[in-house]
This record gives sequence, structure tokens and C-alpha cells, in this order.
Amino acid sequence: MTALLEVHELSAGYGDSDILHGLSLRVDDGELVAVIGPNGAGKSTLLKTLAGLVRPRSGRIALRGADITGAGTRRIVASGLCYVPQEANVFPSLSVWENLTIGAWTAPGASNERARAVVDLFPVLAERRRARAGTLSGGERQMLAMAMALMVEPRLLLLDEPSAGLAPALQRLVFDRVREINARGLGILLVEQNARESLALCQRAYVLAMGRVRAEGAGGALRDDPEIRRLYLGG
Amino acid sequence: MPPIAQYVFNGVVTGGILALPAVAFSLLWRLLRFPNFAVSTYLTVGAYVALVLNHGVRASIELAWLGALVVTGALALLVDRIAFRPMRDRRPFSLAIASIGVAFVLENVVRFVWGNDFRSYDVPVTRGMSVAGLRIGRDQLLILGVAVVLMALAQAFLLRTRLGIAMRATADNPRLAAVKGVPTERVIALATLGGGGLAGGAGVFLGLDASIDPLMGGGLIISVFAAAILGGIGSAPGALAGALIVGIMEEVGMLVVPPTYKTAIGFTIILAVLLVRPTGLAGARS
Ligand SMILES: Nc1ncnc2c1ncn2[C@@H]1O[C@H](COP(=O)(O)OP(=O)(O)OP(=O)(O)O)[C@@H](O)[C@H]1O
Ligand SMILES: [Mg+2]
Repeated sequence: MTALLEVHELSAGYGDSDILHGLSLRVDDGELVAVIGPNGAGKSTLLKTLAGLVRPRSGRIALRGADITGAGTRRIVASGLCYVPQEANVFPSLSVWENLTIGAWTAPGASNERARAVVDLFPVLAERRRARAGTLSGGERQMLAMAMALMVEPRLLLLDEPSAGLAPALQRLVFDRVREINARGLGILLVEQNARESLALCQRAYVLAMGRVRAEGAGGALRDDPEIRRLYLGG
Repeated sequence: MPPIAQYVFNGVVTGGILALPAVAFSLLWRLLRFPNFAVSTYLTVGAYVALVLNHGVRASIELAWLGALVVTGALALLVDRIAFRPMRDRRPFSLAIASIGVAFVLENVVRFVWGNDFRSYDVPVTRGMSVAGLRIGRDQLLILGVAVVLMALAQAFLLRTRLGIAMRATADNPRLAAVKGVPTERVIALATLGGGGLAGGAGVFLGLDASIDPLMGGGLIISVFAAAILGGIGSAPGALAGALIVGIMEEVGMLVVPPTYKTAIGFTIILAVLLVRPTGLAGARS
């Protein structure tokens, strides 16, 4: 079976320095895969490279068998891969509704119906549809960022630390939504600081350190691995 | 001596003209994150394009105005491709300096081809009206009307159209816009074309209201700058309000300071805004 996303020996970085060193991973259709690892491991760089913001130096990225290595952001989003950045993931001076409009840029037809479906998932956005995104709370902003990505009905969602900086109750809400989106059949590649929560949530996970995959396996197995616990889960 | 109301009226007309380059300057600043000082020189370019059409091929002034709009817009796009696009990722300071270089080159090309003389369009002479003691030219009313309509169109475009929303999104965060699939370079090209066109059209207005010379646009840069930051960078209605205030203050200021110090009024406004309310009239965006 072709994987939804197949990354083979990927190297990428900024300027002259490589951050990712020959990294390989895969996400299957409808799978929720977590990526954990210490600060500066290259998790965000990985997602940026997959989204087309950072050019791969070598290696191969394939989405449902189609080679998208080095493709531009437009082609990537049009082929079903949607990226939600860690920071600055909404347009602050645009209203919530306008943000959703931009989210649907590559698939403008029927965007009203899709907006309604997306808002069903995040009811708070309906109440605040006219508010400028810059005035939203941290939780609302994160919901909007995810909602924008869902506006094009992607096959694969890349989420960069969706729970960062949120109060525990909101974190739980975000993780619930991630689970629900995944239950609808979307593949998700989830980068998280909150390693315990994401290992519990995912089907498989990769542990990243210094731009390389250090371990991979089922979420539960990694969580119970004493070595991983000691290094990445704080004992 | 004419009554103060006459100065205010003249200031409103000047402000209406000034509003067009001020909006262009303000939106391009927000989109590309540098003050493009060539914008005011596009007024000169537009004025001379219309002059060539009006004198050379005897085009009516309306047709010449349209020609100026199109040609100046296209020139602004060409300048962006040659000068600014290769520098997109540079610091705003470098880009601002580059724009001063562009202004210098354009101004001197105009000077080389047409010389330093003051010129004017061949237009039928219209009698001015006298309303409540004010001298009001038909041209002035027309200029004001067209300027207001253009501003309203620009605002409607930005607020109501998909492309307008994409333009504001690109101004907010170009990388995120690109990730969402917005063709950001095409959005920038459209804004450059539109901004250049508005400035070129304003140049013809200025030529009709006053006269045409190679320094006419460049000399306005302080006023344009003042209007834009008074209105708040990136706000079209703000730039209109800012331009009206600057226009009126510069005209009324002639009652107290000699005309050679006109520029000083613009400078004073810039300083006052930066000290008192750096975000401008339109508030806390940026
Ligand atoms: N735009 C950039 N230019 C240069 N270096 C960068 C840039 N962004 C990140 N880096 C560097 O790349 C390395 C990996 O950063 P990255 O953001 O991918 O880590 P991360 O795993 O997401 O960390 P965190 O958990 O803190 O989010 C770091 O050393 C960082 O300093
Ligand atoms: Mg990160």
C-alpha cells in the first residue's frame, strides 16, 4: 500500500547549516502520528520543509505516491497537505470569517458549506465570526488555525504544538478535537511538547533528536520504554 | 486677501489629490514592509505621460488621464520587478534607500527628455464658479469627485473582494498566506500596479490644478509620507483622512509661514504623529 506521506532520507536547513540529517518517516491513510523530541530537535523545521517553506537539500517527499520534493507551497496545499504553524498561525487583522475564506483559497467552491461544517467542530468561531483574529484568546486562535486548515478538506494535517501555551482544560479540548478530526479519516502528523498526551493519543510516534529519528514505534510502547522515559519524558 | 475658507477649500482639493499616492504609499508599505519613496515620483511620470498624449497625439485630457493611469501602473510594476523584487528579503532600510535611487533615476530621465520648464495641458478654459465668496473651479470639483470615488473603490476592493482579503492577509503574514496557497507575488504585483496607477492619475490632477514640472511629484514626498503615517500605515480611509488634514494644514499654513516653508508643515506633522500617536488615526494595527 502507498503511504499517505512518505519521507525518505530528508536533509534540510537554513542558510548553510543542515538541521535535518537524512530523516525518514511515514504516515499511513487516516493515521495519527506523533513527533516528539527536545527543543531545537528540528520538529518545526521538519513540518516547514514538508509544507514547502524550507527547501529540502536532499531526500524525497511523496504524498500518496506523488513526488512533492521541492514543490511550492501552493502545489503542496492543493495536493491535500495542510500545515498549521506553531506561531503566527492566523491573520490578526482579518476577521474570523475572512481567515476561513483564506483557508479555503485553493478550494473556493462550496466554501460556505465547509465553513459551517468546520464551525460545527469549533462552535466558538461562529459566535466570534466578525471579531478580528488578533483579538481572540489563545485557545480560540488555535481553534481558528485548525479550522482554517480544514477548509480545504486536506488528506494530511501537520499540527505544530497546537496545545502550547494553553491552560490544561483548553489543552484537553484541543486534543479532543485532534482525535475527532483523525476519527473522520484524516491523517495527522502531530508535533507536541506535551509528549505524554500525544503518545497516548497517537497510533505511532517518532522521537526526534538533533535532526535524526532516534526511536519509533507504537505510542504506548514508546511511553513504556525506560530509555525514552528517562531522556524525553522526564523520568 | 481671500478669506480663510478659500485656503481650506484649496486644501481639500490638494488633500484629495494627495490621498491617491498616500493610499498607494501606505498599502505598499504595509504589504512590502518598506516606505517606497518612488511613489511620489510616479505622480511626475503620470503627469508627463498625459502630457505626451495630450500634446503629442491630441488626446482629450480624460483619455490622457486613463493613459497615465495604465502606463504609470505598468512602469511601477516594471520597477518592482527590476529593483525591489530581487531584494524582497532585505532589510526595510536597504529597500527604502533603493526606492530613493529609483525616484532619482526617474526624475532625471524626465528632466533629460523634457527639460526643467513648467508646462500645462491643452484643456478648454472653463469659467470658475463663485459660491459664497469662494472661487471654485470646475476642474477642482471634478478632481475631488474622482479622487473620492477612487478611494471608495479601493476600500471596497480591500474589504469586499476575495482578492482584497488576500491582499490584507499577505500584508499580515506573507508566509502564512503562501502556506494557504495565496499567490503572494501576484498579489504584490496587483497592489503595485494599482498603487502606481493611482499615483499616476494623481499626477495628472496635480498638473491640472497647478502645473507640470520634473520636481512636482518628488517635492510632495514629505506630504505623502505625513498623510500616510497620520492615517495609520495600511489603512485606506486613514490615508484619505490624513491627506485631507495635511492638505488643509499646508494651505492654511500659508497664512502664517512663507510658501518656502510649506515642506516644514509636513515635517512637523510627521514629528507630531511619531511623538503622540505612532499608530496614526486608524489606531493600533501594525
Ligand atoms: N529561521 C531559522 N533560521 C535559522 N535557524 C533556525 C531557524 N528556525 C530554527 N532554526 C534553528 O533550527 C534548529 C531547530 O529548530 P526547530 O524550530 O525546528 O526546533 P523544534 O524541534 O521545533 O524546537 P521547539 O521544541 O523549541 O519548537 C534550532 O537550532 C533553531 O535555532
Ligand atoms: Mg518547534
